[in-house]
Amino acid sequence: MRRGSPPTFACWLLESLLPDPYREAVLGDLIEEYALRIESTSRLTASRWFWSQACRSLPPTVWSLLRSRDCLISISIAMGVYIFMGTLKFAADWMISKLIAPDQTTHVVLAPIVFLTTTVIGGCVATRIRRGATIFLALLVTITVAILIDVKVCSIPVPWWYQFGFLTLGPLTVILPPLFGRLKQQGTVT
Amino acid sequence: MKRGELLGSLEHIILLALVRLDGNAYGMIVRREIEERTGRNLSIGAVYATLERLETKGYVSSFTGEPTPERGGRAKRLFRVEAAGKQALQTSNQTIRSMTAGLKGHWGTI
Repeated sequence: MRRGSPPTFACWLLESLLPDPYREAVLGDLIEEYALRIESTSRLTASRWFWSQACRSLPPTVWSLLRSRDCLISISIAMGVYIFMGTLKFAADWMISKLIAPDQTTHVVLAPIVFLTTTVIGGCVATRIRRGATIFLALLVTITVAILIDVKVCSIPVPWWYQFGFLTLGPLTVILPPLFGRLKQQGTVT
Repeated sequence: MKRGELLGSLEHIILLALVRLDGNAYGMIVRREIEERTGRNLSIGAVYATLERLETKGYVSSFTGEPTPERGGRAKRLFRVEAAGKQALQTSNQTIRSMTAGLKGHWGTI
């Protein structure tokens, strides 16, 4: 975060979740007021105000989003990308088991690599089509991983952190592409 | 405004703020105007969600301003009250006036 620029993650969160017609206006307003506040208060106070506005702004705007047609479009795109990711993962798993190593231990080692690559690709595709769809895609990935952990899909015992890694890194890698895209846009990543 | 349909309290306050600001109103200015006058610290999201509702009802209209550097290159969305909005405000104010008339002596007991 550069001095004078509002918290990046809060901006990204708003940019991802706000309905299209008001995204620019809400973010612009918050950035403008943040710039005014940082002149009279400390950066910490201004950032705290920005975060508070971002968190309090999400429920009414998300509710407004859920009642609008935009939400259905985002969910449909997320579902489409989710099916594409499933097909991609299925093809990769099939190739690994048939061509490289059919045993379970190698599969356990390669599974996170395949999974995370698939989620990154899914996140990039969803961002490319519609940024708002990534949050729904991340939600779908979280639910899927939670269900797979619950039904114990892995036939050999694995440590808890292995499953926890899937549960946390899966949705994170879905939402990282738009975050990095935004950071790059702001020039903080060179 | 349909017969019997009153403005919500936030809709009422935001419409009044728009009338006060007279065509130069966007989310942040509306939010600050309300905060200064009522002490209510609204979120910008709540302001825009209400403005969107008012626009759907035809009480306000919006147009996009020019992007400015201090807003990170983002454009303002300016709002103005339409005739239907002014009518809705008059009806709501009239209803409140009618209902509060003669209650001065009761404020201590309500």
